[in-house]
Amino acid sequence: MLDACCLMPDNRFLEVTELPPRVIVDKCDGCKAEKEPLCEQICPGDLMTLSEKTGKAYCRYTRDCWDCMSCVKICPQGALETRLSYQLGYYPAKLIPMMGTNRITWTSIAMDGTVERFVVPTRNEE
Amino acid sequence: MPVGLYFCQCHGEISRTVDTARLASVLSRARGVAVCREHPCLCGADGLAIMQRDVRDGTVDRIVLAGCSPRVHQETFTAALEAAGLNRYMVERCNLREQCAWPHADDPATATGKARNLVLMSLAKARLLEPLVPLTFPAVERALVLGAGVAGLSAALDLAAAGVEVVVAEKEPYLGGHVAGFHRYFPRNCPPMCGVDFMVERLRADTKVSLHTCAEMTEITGSPGNYQVEMVKRPRYVSPEKCTACGECAGVCPISRSDRLGQGLGSTRAAYLPHPLAQPRAYVIDREACLEGCDLCSRACPTGAIDLAQQEERFALRVGSVVVATGWESYDASLVEQYGYGRLANVVTNLELERLASPNGPTGGKLLRPSDGRPASRVAFLQCVGSRDLNHLPYCSQICCAVTLKQVGYVREALPEAEITVFYMDLRAVGEYEQMYREAQEQHRALFIRGNPSEVVQDPRSGDAIVRAEDTLSGRQVEVKADLVVLAVGMRPSRGLERLFPSLQPSSGGWDFASGHTQCFPFEMRRSGIYPAGSCQGPMDVSTATRGASGAAMKAMATLKGRVEVRPTVPVVDKAKCDKCKRCMEECPVEAWYWDETGYPAPDLLKCRQCGICQGGCPMRVISLKNFGIKMVANAIQALDPSFAGKGEPVLLALLCANDAYPAADLAGQKRHAYPPNVVTMPVPCAGSVNVAWVADALTNGVDGVLIAGCKSDQCHFFHGSDLARTRLDNMRETLKRMMIEPDRVRMANLGIADDAAYVELVTGFLSDLRGLGPSPFKA
Repeated sequence: MLDACCLMPDNRFLEVTELPPRVIVDKCDGCKAEKEPLCEQICPGDLMTLSEKTGKAYCRYTRDCWDCMSCVKICPQGALETRLSYQLGYYPAKLIPMMGTNRITWTSIAMDGTVERFVVPTRNEE
Repeated sequence: MPVGLYFCQCHGEISRTVDTARLASVLSRARGVAVCREHPCLCGADGLAIMQRDVRDGTVDRIVLAGCSPRVHQETFTAALEAAGLNRYMVERCNLREQCAWPHADDPATATGKARNLVLMSLAKARLLEPLVPLTFPAVERALVLGAGVAGLSAALDLAAAGVEVVVAEKEPYLGGHVAGFHRYFPRNCPPMCGVDFMVERLRADTKVSLHTCAEMTEITGSPGNYQVEMVKRPRYVSPEKCTACGECAGVCPISRSDRLGQGLGSTRAAYLPHPLAQPRAYVIDREACLEGCDLCSRACPTGAIDLAQQEERFALRVGSVVVATGWESYDASLVEQYGYGRLANVVTNLELERLASPNGPTGGKLLRPSDGRPASRVAFLQCVGSRDLNHLPYCSQICCAVTLKQVGYVREALPEAEITVFYMDLRAVGEYEQMYREAQEQHRALFIRGNPSEVVQDPRSGDAIVRAEDTLSGRQVEVKADLVVLAVGMRPSRGLERLFPSLQPSSGGWDFASGHTQCFPFEMRRSGIYPAGSCQGPMDVSTATRGASGAAMKAMATLKGRVEVRPTVPVVDKAKCDKCKRCMEECPVEAWYWDETGYPAPDLLKCRQCGICQGGCPMRVISLKNFGIKMVANAIQALDPSFAGKGEPVLLALLCANDAYPAADLAGQKRHAYPPNVVTMPVPCAGSVNVAWVADALTNGVDGVLIAGCKSDQCHFFHGSDLARTRLDNMRETLKRMMIEPDRVRMANLGIADDAAYVELVTGFLSDLRGLGPSPFKA
């Protein structure tokens, strides 16, 4: 049931009823049918996995996701989306990372639609 | 890391627009620059001498050449600098002429600002250049030729003449392939066994050549220059060395079987000689047809050549390259049901007619009706059977028309009074085959009816075949009675090709041949060191097949010379950060990646074509091409200061594929097409080598838009680089949209090498759209 819910292409339905992380099924390529896609490898709670039926990623227990955004950052297709954790901002606030070579650009969209961007350096290159 | 920065005025071509003197003075203080000079003509003897002196002095260990496009004078510079002791990979070219001075002559101030940025980007790249030397790998000096038809035999002869060891494997028990069964081949209309025999004798006399019949390849692993192949040799049950072809075995054999070479028209004993001139001239035993426990033949054999217990033999080979000459097979005529092949006895294929006409064939060369053995005095030929038909073979097999014209001659020769009718859609007798067409009409008096027959039926009483058609020229319905109906069926590649070489060009539109990029790289397969020859490449006549075989042999020589040299600009993996997601393996167009002994992905450098698609797709950004790596390009993008175009003016970063889009941009400059100087370009080995992290870098760096331009989808030199780039950018555009950034700031375009006008239109349009969108949200 959870599987099907997460994979519904009807995004509106998902947004209202499903907890994040949300998989944008059109973009997810299941890491080319890899046994363990990158989101599964990185998820600290071991929540993400591939659906055998569709070959796309889904979150097994959305209630257990604490929105750490590891999967969002690592997804090569940009196919994952989480919300800001509720302590920080209620639905529909969003925080979206964009990965550069040695920086992450965070876009924060507050409940009222205010957009803020932060560019944060990542790896310390020697 | 002392960089020598040299500005070329190009006799004023550059300095007229770009203030090279000022740039030289300003940039002489840039980080790492040890020497900065300006010269009127760097490619002249004087200019080269100045750079050579700086290299010899040890003043510089890498060079940035700000002048013409890297597409011109590359060897002039690298050869001169190499002579002075500089590694040829330590030169970074910065294109100030074709992509700055020439197209922006009307705006010298901004052009100079752009030039400054181009140089800064080149300097950033130059700082990370490494001296590289070509890699060499050992290569086995032995070639494997699969298939001993005319193409395979010709390729083997050429390879042997070039001095390498050649192993020829033929799956049939005889050499010569299809043509061995033909009566004659055109255009000279001579017996094909003459040519086959000639080639086989020469190959046999060559000690470096080994010929195997009943042999097939079952597996191939390894790399170009060093392939390991597994071969299987099926038992022949007769030793060709001992067999004298006396025929005693066939004389005592109690079993009759359908003759395969005779296309099933006749029969042989289970111990049989494939045909009287077969090479090797030795009998074969068809054990599947044998009676259980029967050993009459082996007892009858006077030389003890027969070993009925012979087993299948497997052997392995190491070869440097493989020539695939696995040939063709006829399209199954019974699938074209309305012509009754397989149901009506007197309907035969053109291949069967070859056997009927051959003196070595089942009828001894007499044209007889298969139904009752009466002479066939009325013969109808049906062209394009299953060809040019979307339900069967969608293509024209090119030679069936000429085959029919040849066979019209067989009929006339055998029966001077025969009535010959040819039903055709279009007759395609190209080149000198026009002569055969004329002969068929004038000398052989064949009647040509333009129309595709609707059906062939049989008169139940006489056994005559009746061909019903519309003569489209007169508009009348015609019915032609025939003793023999010959179906001109088309050609398709032999089966098994796709199983052995799964990485062949994908088939498209029903065309399953291994044809490569027919204009530029006709022998190219996705794997280097494996080259197709002959009719596995497409329907062709014998003369094209033999000619093509020489080409394939020549290509094969590249990995047969004892060692293979590889350009050192190969991909390298930073294993410490690799996640083993295997995207590199999945996206590599030539399947070059494998798991190394440490469990990490590694490229087979011999298969790798250095397109950088792995680098572009790596989500961890840990794959880098040598001297064009992730970090190098990221640094170059970081070095770009998008304020040069002036306040409120957008700046566009264009990453252009070095194969087509970058030359198109050069051409625009060469033709002096003016476009705004707000576009900064960088060549990339393939659009697929662009990692979207670079695009993100550029945007956060304040660049207003990013363009990736690759070859047209079906013209990508690396098969799907352009398409992958588009998919990746599409994903990024969607992310940008969610980030409340206009997705139109990043675009993918496809450009051909001569699309200079399209390039100008593209960047001009993009820039004007960017003006409409306003400055990038990241612009300081």
